[in-house]
Amino acid sequence: MGTLHIVCFGNELHGDDGFGIRVYAQLCRSTWTKDVEVFNAGIAGLNALRFLEDCSQAILVDALANFGNVGEVFLLRPEDLADRPEQLTGHGLGIPYLLEALKVIREPQPDILIVGVEIAAVNPFSPGLSDETEHAIPKTVQLIRGLLSE
Amino acid sequence: MARRTIQIDLNRVEGDLDFQLELEDNKVVDARCIGSLYRGFEQILMSRKPKDSLVITPRICGICGTAQLNAAVLALEHIGRIPVPPTAIRIRNLCLMAETVQSDLRQSFMFFTADFCHSKYVDRPFYEKARAAFLPFKGSVHRGALEHSRHIVEIIALFGGQWPHSSYMLPGGVTTPASSRHIIDSLSILNKLTRWFEQAIIGTDLDAWLAIQSADEFFTWLTAKDAHADSAIGLFTLMSRDIGLHNTGFGTPHMISYGAYDDPDDAGTFPPHRKHLFRAGFLNGDTGDIEPFEQAEITEHVRYSWFQPYQGGRHPFQGQTIPDYQPHSDRYTWCKAPRYQNKVVQTGPLADALIDGEPLIRSLYQAEGGNAWLRQFARLHRTARLLHKMRETLRELAAQPNAPHMISPDEKEIPDGEGFGLVTAARGALGHWVQITDGVISRYQVVTPTAWNASPKDSEGRHGHWESSLIGLTVDDPDDPVEIGHIIRSHDPCLVCTVHLLDTGKRITVWP
Repeated sequence: MGTLHIVCFGNELHGDDGFGIRVYAQLCRSTWTKDVEVFNAGIAGLNALRFLEDCSQAILVDALANFGNVGEVFLLRPEDLADRPEQLTGHGLGIPYLLEALKVIREPQPDILIVGVEIAAVNPFSPGLSDETEHAIPKTVQLIRGLLSE
Repeated sequence: MARRTIQIDLNRVEGDLDFQLELEDNKVVDARCIGSLYRGFEQILMSRKPKDSLVITPRICGICGTAQLNAAVLALEHIGRIPVPPTAIRIRNLCLMAETVQSDLRQSFMFFTADFCHSKYVDRPFYEKARAAFLPFKGSVHRGALEHSRHIVEIIALFGGQWPHSSYMLPGGVTTPASSRHIIDSLSILNKLTRWFEQAIIGTDLDAWLAIQSADEFFTWLTAKDAHADSAIGLFTLMSRDIGLHNTGFGTPHMISYGAYDDPDDAGTFPPHRKHLFRAGFLNGDTGDIEPFEQAEITEHVRYSWFQPYQGGRHPFQGQTIPDYQPHSDRYTWCKAPRYQNKVVQTGPLADALIDGEPLIRSLYQAEGGNAWLRQFARLHRTARLLHKMRETLRELAAQPNAPHMISPDEKEIPDGEGFGLVTAARGALGHWVQITDGVISRYQVVTPTAWNASPKDSEGRHGHWESSLIGLTVDDPDDPVEIGHIIRSHDPCLVCTVHLLDTGKRITVWP
């Protein structure tokens, strides 16, 4: 197995949009094997492409909208996002845009999975997650751990 | 008369800007540019040690952190009268140019030109060529810009350890010398980008293109060969003019430039008196004259901003930035309204080129004024100039391999006093004004290029530049106002535009 990058997206200042960053904080409390690296991509936009170089697999963590019930955790593949480019929330250039850009600059592509939670709301300049999103953090971390042990 | 309001969100990544436009019978009759992000760096810096600004201010922006760092260090050197060696100035310039080149290429080919692929233009003769070149992720130029623009800031990482948000400029110089390894690596990055720029963007040799001096010469060049007309700049020009972008989006006629890139040959002079490679000035739109620039003429108004009110305008050294959010008043933005000589002004590559006296841009301006096409063209013309200048700078660095990159200041701390640092960022005039009292920052005021351009109305009710560039514009389809997208993007706000129509609740995405 090659290197695996876990790349977390979000903005902690905007309510549930901070989900990915809270997951990042949680992941940092664990120790990982040398072939796993965890990144806080924040709202890096296209600059987050750097985190998708030099890895054979990547797990992206972000908030989701219109995928299911609030608080529900989803495991998606890039093709699941292909027809809904504006569905991910919070970042002007979101994960679909980033994945399209990655196709242009990198060949072969890393294996990519997206782990996300359906969030309640992006509240500008209101730090803190809703209860449902907060409860999804341990489930998400557990899901990521499970993916790594496969 | 049908009146409706359009709300345009301009991305949530770097800029956090919205537009609210009032339309009457498809004509824009009022415009409000809304800065929806309270920055707060002025408060963060209060009571801190002066050199903290070198770490904190590069975080203001994910695109122009190098420019913020340069402004911050110049302000401290101004206060402390701290000399800098020529090599440090060259390294600073090289990095600032790299940052600007990346920003300009991305703005041009990942955002601006994508609008030519809009379905509205399906019957235009250029449509197939537009899609082949500019369609996001499919068009050759879009793909090329994505690939090539990302490497140029590696030059900053070589000298600054990282990009964005680096802190390698210190009072007295920079942290890393110009080793031959850094110079060779930088040249390799620059050569690769320049080759792509010549092949894909201008369709000719860089020096030959920069030799074009007048509007007549340019339009002759454009039709002289297929390679010219089919180059990215050729296509962009022909398409822009086909849809009339050379007749629209003028905004205020007054322009300022702080001058770009300190002159290393004038390193012995302290800022702010050091000469620049590209000149500073004020283009008075009433007379057409270029007057000397004087920072004392800058004021900021808050009449329509969410700050504690004060009368009229204040110079940044008397500036006050106390947030006072009043969402249900006639105040509408977190941006202040900067004015120069109490006039509404614009800043950016068009202003820089005109004030510097660049002959081609000046000739085009004299022929047709400061329109949306020329504003965008000036940005790309700057890329060509900077690629040339970066090569020259690397050559100069290579010629003096052991020259010092730092003159350690006599005093460890920055003394009490006041100073300012003025630089040209990708989007135009950027200034930091700093006062130090009892060893700590007692006032820090940042006036960004976007504050100038995205300014709200001032105490006298005069619209800012972006606002005025849209008032009077007629859109064909208010449900899909691509004309507004062209003009807004020509001003280089950050990234994508999403358009919301408040009256129907319908949401339209203008996606690049």
